Amino acid sequence: MRISIPPSWRTRVYRYRLVATKCKKCGVTLYPPSNICRHCGSREVDQVELANEKARLITWTVIYSTMEGFEKQRPLIIGIVETTESKARILAPLTDVLPGELKPGMIMEPVIRRIREEGEAGLVHYGVAFRPELTTSALNTS
Amino acid sequence: MYPEEKTGIVGWGSYIPRWRLSLKEIAEVWGFNPEQPEELGVSEKSVAGVDEDAVTMGIEAARNALMRAGINPKEIGAVWFGTESKPYAVKPSATIVAEAIGATPYSMATDWEFACRAASEAIRASIGAVASGLIKYALVVGSDTAQANPGDVLEFTASSAATALIIGSREESAAYFEASATYVTDTPDFWRRDHSKYPLHGEAFTGEPAYFKHIVGSVKTLLEKTGLKPEDFDYAVFHQPNGTFPLRVARMLGFPREKVTPGLITPYIGNSYNSSALIGLARVLEIAKPGQRILLAPFGSGAGSDAYSIVVTDKVEERKHRAPIVDDYLKRKYTVSYSLYAKYRGLVYRVE
Repeated sequence: MRISIPPSWRTRVYRYRLVATKCKKCGVTLYPPSNICRHCGSREVDQVELANEKARLITWTVIYSTMEGFEKQRPLIIGIVETTESKARILAPLTDVLPGELKPGMIMEPVIRRIREEGEAGLVHYGVAFRPELTTSALNTS
Repeated sequence: MYPEEKTGIVGWGSYIPRWRLSLKEIAEVWGFNPEQPEELGVSEKSVAGVDEDAVTMGIEAARNALMRAGINPKEIGAVWFGTESKPYAVKPSATIVAEAIGATPYSMATDWEFACRAASEAIRASIGAVASGLIKYALVVGSDTAQANPGDVLEFTASSAATALIIGSREESAAYFEASATYVTDTPDFWRRDHSKYPLHGEAFTGEPAYFKHIVGSVKTLLEKTGLKPEDFDYAVFHQPNGTFPLRVARMLGFPREKVTPGLITPYIGNSYNSSALIGLARVLEIAKPGQRILLAPFGSGAGSDAYSIVVTDKVEERKHRAPIVDDYLKRKYTVSYSLYAKYRGLVYRVE
C-alpha cells in the first residue's frame, strides 16, 4: 500500500509523542490535534503531549477482513481509549494483547509501533498504539 | 584520574517484547537433539511482535531511561543507536528515536555497526564526548530483533530486546564509570554480507578465538590498568550469547558464579545481541546497592570486547522506581507457536 510521504512526515511528531490540542476556552483535548476546537469552535488551542498519560479502554473492534497492506497484522484490533487526565478520546490500534483479554475500562498505555509499511522496500510508517499497562495482572501468562 | 571518572549512567531503561517461543519447539520443528536447549542453558526466547522492530523497542527503552534520568531531552547531544537489525539499510534509526523522545534537531544521531558490540563502543565514545564537555548527555541504545536462518543453531537464541543508557556527568549519575578498556582484532566468527537476509557463522570458531579471547583480553587489560581484582567486584555482566558462555568466561577470569547470575538474562529471553550484556547491566542496577562495583564486558563478532568498571552511587535507589524494571518485562510473557513466531519475524515468504 502506497504511503504518501508529505502527510506521513508532517504528522510524525504528533504520532511519536502523542501531541494533542487543548482548547483554552472549553478545556476539551483533541487528538489528532486541531487548530480549531471541534467542541466549541474556538481557535485558541494549546499543544499538549499525552505520551506519559495512561488511558482507559472504552470500546474496540476485532477486524478479520483487513484492507490491503494489513494482512500480517490480522486480526487487527482497533480501539477507542480515553486518556485518564486530559480525557482525550483516541482511536488507535491495540497491541500486545489477545482479543479475549480485552475488557472495558482496562488501563492502557501508549507505545510506538509500526502502523503500516509500503512492501519490503518502501517507507515504514510509525505511530501510536495502545497496550494494556505493563504491570497489569489482567493478561494471560504462559 | 581517568576521563571515565567524570562520567556515569544518569538513567537506564530496557524493553522486552511480550511474546516468547519455547526452545523445545524449535528443536522439535527442526529435528534437533531435544536436549540442545538445556545444553545452551536457555529455555525461551523473546520474540518481537508483528508491529515491532529495533526502532520501536529502542524508543521504549529510551523513554524508560529518560524517565529515570529526569532530564530535558533537548539537552541530549548524541543519540547513538547500536543494532544489527536496522529497519532501513539506509536511513538512520537514530533520528526516529531522537524525534520520538524529543531530542531533535540539535543532537548528533547515528547508527553504529559492530555486530553485538555496536552500542558498547557508543558507550565508550559517549564517555569521551561527555568528559570532554562537547555534549552534556548522550543517549546510547542497544536494540535488536536478532535474525537467524530458520533451522540454524543460531535460531535457538536469536531474540529481541532493547536497553538504553543516558550518559552524563558523574555528579548526576546513578552509577559512575571508573575505567574502561577495549580489545579488537579482525576475526571472522560471524558475519552477514550485503543483501543476505541471515548471518553466517564459524560454528565452533565463535567460542575460543572470538568470544573468550576478546572478553578475556578486554577484562584483563582493564584489571591490569586499574589494579582491580575479581574480588573487588560485586557483579560481573558479560555478553550472553547463551546461558553457559558467560559462566565459563567468568571462571576463566576468576569471577564466581554468584556474581554473574543476577545479570544473566539470556536463560529467560535468549540473546538480544546489542542489548544482551546491557540488559544484564540494567537488571544489576535495579538490585545493586550504593558503593557496589560492577564489571560490564560486552562482546561483538568481528570481533571485539569492551570492559567497564562501574561504581553504583546513592542515586540508584530513587531512580530505579521511576520506570518499569527488567523484571516487569520478564514477568509479562505469553508463549506463541513456531508458526506465529515465523509470521511475526518475517520467516514466511509472502508476495506483497
